[in-house]
Amino acid sequence: MTKFRMRQAWTIARIEMHRAFLSKRAFWVYLLAILPAVIFIGHGIEMKLRESRYQGRGVTPAEVVDSFTKGEKVEDVLKRAPKPVEDHSWSYRRSHEDEEEEGETNKKRRISERVEGRSLTYFDGQRRVQVGFENGVLIRKHSDTMKNFEEDRTVFAGVFQYFYLRLAIFFGCLGIFMNLFRGEMLDKTLHYWFLAPARREVLLLGKYLAGLVAATVIFTGGALLGFGAMLWPYSGAEMQAFWSGPGPSHMFWYAAAAALGCVGYGSVFLAAGLLLRNPIIPAAVLLVWESINGFLPDLLQKLSILHYLQSMCPVAAPIESDTPALLRLILSPAAPTSRGLAVLGLLAVTMLVLWAASSAVKRIEINYGTE
Amino acid sequence: MAVYKRGYERYDGPLTSHTTRLLAMPRFAWARLMDQKLVVILLALSMLWPLLCGGFIYLANHLSLLQGFGGNDLGKMVEINGKFFLIFMNTQAVFSVLLAALTGPGLIAPDLANNALPLYFSRPLTRLDYVGARMAVLVGLLSMITWIPGLFLFIMQSSMAGGTWFAANWSLGVAIVGGFLLWIALLSMVALTCSAWVKWRIVAGALVLGFFFILAGVSQMVNSILRVEFGTLINPTRAMYIIWSAMLGVEVPSGPTPWECVSVLAALVVVLAMILERKLRPVEVIS
Repeated sequence: MTKFRMRQAWTIARIEMHRAFLSKRAFWVYLLAILPAVIFIGHGIEMKLRESRYQGRGVTPAEVVDSFTKGEKVEDVLKRAPKPVEDHSWSYRRSHEDEEEEGETNKKRRISERVEGRSLTYFDGQRRVQVGFENGVLIRKHSDTMKNFEEDRTVFAGVFQYFYLRLAIFFGCLGIFMNLFRGEMLDKTLHYWFLAPARREVLLLGKYLAGLVAATVIFTGGALLGFGAMLWPYSGAEMQAFWSGPGPSHMFWYAAAAALGCVGYGSVFLAAGLLLRNPIIPAAVLLVWESINGFLPDLLQKLSILHYLQSMCPVAAPIESDTPALLRLILSPAAPTSRGLAVLGLLAVTMLVLWAASSAVKRIEINYGTE
Repeated sequence: MAVYKRGYERYDGPLTSHTTRLLAMPRFAWARLMDQKLVVILLALSMLWPLLCGGFIYLANHLSLLQGFGGNDLGKMVEINGKFFLIFMNTQAVFSVLLAALTGPGLIAPDLANNALPLYFSRPLTRLDYVGARMAVLVGLLSMITWIPGLFLFIMQSSMAGGTWFAANWSLGVAIVGGFLLWIALLSMVALTCSAWVKWRIVAGALVLGFFFILAGVSQMVNSILRVEFGTLINPTRAMYIIWSAMLGVEVPSGPTPWECVSVLAALVVVLAMILERKLRPVEVIS
């Protein structure tokens, strides 16, 4: 391709970019991109508010909190730790069956009793410890870390791989890239482009570049924003260690996976918009294929864009919490492909799909009446 | 635009009955849908799972055939109960979403895109009739892959297992039909609203898919980031699963109660109905 054609493609891309970034239809794409960041920010605000509230109500030393044992009386607990950050009491009736001997036969009797419940929550500066009492006796103890960096990182990995790559980027690219040709067909404006003195492959390249820049900026930005929002509540030595260790590399690979997702899905949806009258069908097939990916044999798992994108992610995603036990048994994610190979594979697939799209765009004949 | 010349008169001849008028639209729509190869292919694919389930019921009731494979242990595994029908319903629900995404958008969007609504409403049809007729198309189509095969499986099991099984489990039959009808009502409302919201059929199809898949993702995201369970309420598929579990007498998954799910889905249907009411206007006043 000559320099002149490259300039033509870039001119087309600049015109289209305006539409991709600012059209009314693009706003829901922004919403999809920033949604994880918004929820992480909400989580961060909630953590910070709760922490300051707990600190205002009093911190109980860790050794005192650890000394609570089952069977203790509530008075003893309160004597050692008089400042719980939360104190809830309630009462309810509990019924159970009791057997009593009546001559030679045992007769079952339903007994109803009143239970006084109480829950005390203590904060030791890091952990929140909840102790539950029934009729004044400690029966359960549960503790969790208020700010768990490792857990939040794993949650981010799950959100990024299950929501961001599989759904947000998928549907975002569906909207952006199908709009490039199929949208113009529906608007009955494609013929203006075809009348312009530019080769159709150049038009395709220009439109693809426009979609790619828009999708990459929106979704890479959204991924970085989400990553930042996840890290926001944390500070101190933990953060320093993260940024001097794996932090920058994690950030880079999340951004790279988002960008390459746009490259891969974008090319597929651009081609689908050109090759098929109803591109929703390949989109639905691809969506189902990507969703059942983890249950397929290793070889078939590698025939998906998602597998290569997940291979680039720095933290393995946990199994989705609502996956039934039976499905968990047959779930066997394939070993990740090396990052270099994943990038090369995705780029190669994109080139192949774009080549197919360019041969389709050369043959395309406009028939607005059938839309 | 003002119309000055009125060279026509209102038709005052005999009218067909209300039901006949209502069924005219679904009749043509079904014929048009059945002409689409993809719809037929998807319908055929949707029948595979009920066929497999039918085979499973047959085997479960003829355990002697499985003696060589450890019949007794297998007998416990192949028990036909609420859990079995829940798995059946869950799978068919996925097919019904795909079918609704394929067929639903073509019901209202073309009428809006081609300004055809005045043509419909100039006839003795109300907006409610119009929506009802369009919904009947989806209800008919989705019934073929949901409660009809479900009921068929239930009858098959009842006839093979005998009257005792039926007497103990008749509520499963009611739950299958009732549960699927609730699902069809929700799905039809989503498909029709998406079809009315965007004038393009293709975009409406993507919107139907996105509605179910993205909301499922958002719900999981809310649950995992905020460490809560109420996020499940914004996932219509999961909320319906919880309702079905309660109806079939299967252990209800942790999270919102079935009544909470019913309330949220009812609120969703009301919102969708309001959007439909707003979008389906026979005339558009341009100021």
